[in-house]
Amino acid sequence: MISGLAVGSLYALGGIGLVVLRRATGFLNFAYGAIAAASAMICWQFIDWGFAGPVSWLMSILTGVILSVFFGRYLAPSLAWREPVVKAVATLGFALIILGLVSFIWDDAARKLVLPTDKIGFRLMEVRITVTRIIAFGSSLLIALGTILYLEKTRTGLQMRALANNRAHSALIGIPILKVETIAWALSGALAGFTGMLFGDLVRLDPTIITFMVIPAIAAAICGRLESLFLTFIGGLSIGVAEAMLTLVKPAAPFRSLVAFVVAVLVILWMQRKQRLVFQTED
Amino acid sequence: MDVISHFRQESRTYAALGFVAICVIVLPVVIDSIWVKVLTSAVIFTLAAYGISLLYSQLGLVNLSQVALIGVGGWIMLRLNYAVQFPFELNLLVSAVITAFIGMILALPAMRMKGLYLALITLMVAGGFQIIFSAIQFPNGGAGFLGVALQSPGEMRRPLIAESDTAYLRYSIIVVVLGVMLAAAHNRGRPGRAWAMIRKSEANAMAAGVNVTLYKLWCFTLSGFLAGVSGGLLAGALKILDAKSFPAGESILLFALTIVGGVGHWMGAVIAGFLYRVVPAIFNTIGIDADLSLVIFGAALLHAIMTAPNGIAGQLSSLFQSLGRQNK
Repeated sequence: MISGLAVGSLYALGGIGLVVLRRATGFLNFAYGAIAAASAMICWQFIDWGFAGPVSWLMSILTGVILSVFFGRYLAPSLAWREPVVKAVATLGFALIILGLVSFIWDDAARKLVLPTDKIGFRLMEVRITVTRIIAFGSSLLIALGTILYLEKTRTGLQMRALANNRAHSALIGIPILKVETIAWALSGALAGFTGMLFGDLVRLDPTIITFMVIPAIAAAICGRLESLFLTFIGGLSIGVAEAMLTLVKPAAPFRSLVAFVVAVLVILWMQRKQRLVFQTED
Repeated sequence: MDVISHFRQESRTYAALGFVAICVIVLPVVIDSIWVKVLTSAVIFTLAAYGISLLYSQLGLVNLSQVALIGVGGWIMLRLNYAVQFPFELNLLVSAVITAFIGMILALPAMRMKGLYLALITLMVAGGFQIIFSAIQFPNGGAGFLGVALQSPGEMRRPLIAESDTAYLRYSIIVVVLGVMLAAAHNRGRPGRAWAMIRKSEANAMAAGVNVTLYKLWCFTLSGFLAGVSGGLLAGALKILDAKSFPAGESILLFALTIVGGVGHWMGAVIAGFLYRVVPAIFNTIGIDADLSLVIFGAALLHAIMTAPNGIAGQLSSLFQSLGRQNK
């Protein structure tokens, strides 16, 4: 249950980063996991070189921001007017580049990312809870709340929501599109870096595995219809918990990771229940 | 003018036939045994890539689960091989049909959704099959329905006329050409016209009385059929399939390479199969880390999406066209 909540919060964090970006820029970022993987490996590398913890964590998050903003600033604008599928496919290309580079630089040797918070922990009803897990859960809760408030209350948040509604109209009424989009990419990149670091610690430090963490994160985002941060958060948590619970049921245990996909497909089915016409719209 | 375009059409057909003839007759003779294996799987993946290309070029649908469906085809093929004594071709056909059916069922929920959601559903399907495969493994002649034994007691049979690796390469090329021709025939006929109309505007197609859902589903089923054939051929080529070879990442990679190769043209699918299997093998041989091929593929995908919508095949054919014009 506890480990389920922790892993679930990682999915939720990933989902939130995806949804924020998708709402502001229209990009569903398949490269999210690859960015997270690069950040996690950078974090490991800096710790390995003997840097102090906080420096490595900062570098990790910085890597996320740099990679994400690079795509958002230099590659995304030329795709801004294309349909969402094409945008998503373009991020696949970016994901492949990052994954290729990361697995080239760090070979297949088994590594462990250990954060100091792993050693601090306490026992609650026979279960040992490490601070890392609490951080994962607490931060995803805080970040979800923070992002919702940010989008609702601040000026940039308002501008992001305007962009999400209609990019062309937003440009017309004088919203600095590039600036707002870059902020969204940076925000989502920082989230990716943070998620990658925690994922490397809590689950496994392996570039390929972290890269494809994006799939359950997308499943969580689908639970929120790629729009609602709150539902994404709930979706991510429930996927994580359901996975962890199924470990206890013997015959279902090998199939437990299916939960994310089954949930996502059911949500998609539920969403389309009233759709009849198939006129092609912007989506 | 008609004569000229007819002539062009004919010369194109001859070019295609010549290409196939070279592949069937010359290639297996001039390459050594390792490259026969690499080329066989490249040829096999060409067919699956053609399925992706068909969906994307005809309807703009993104299919990120093709390699998972190849796995399904391979699983059924191996299962049939150990369960019944039918000839190879019959098994191949049956596994392709069942795979097509499974693909159709999986696509059904997304048919009314917009493009991005279909892509996501197929991605979820790919992720799901990755887990199912690693949970149940591929049959290798063991007992029970799953048919998994620790050491393989049986053997995957190959077609009687193609027992050796070289003969099997020729056999695969011919089957793949037949598969591509089947799809091309669809393209020229009634489904092709319906797809073209849906591509321009779903609303107009519907108004003109085209059953949009049916034809979208048809395209998906056809693509699943091609994936099933590739899966069956792959089972015959490798004789044993590894549960780790069909992760979601491979489906994504094959899709990316299909776009890079160029959609809507059989040459694009050939290039995709070549990039997918032969290029990493070349990298390995000359001592470059195969991971770097991912970097190149990613960059090529971005390039294809942003500036070259017809991929390498499109660039080649426009090159040939401009050369032809200069010669006149």
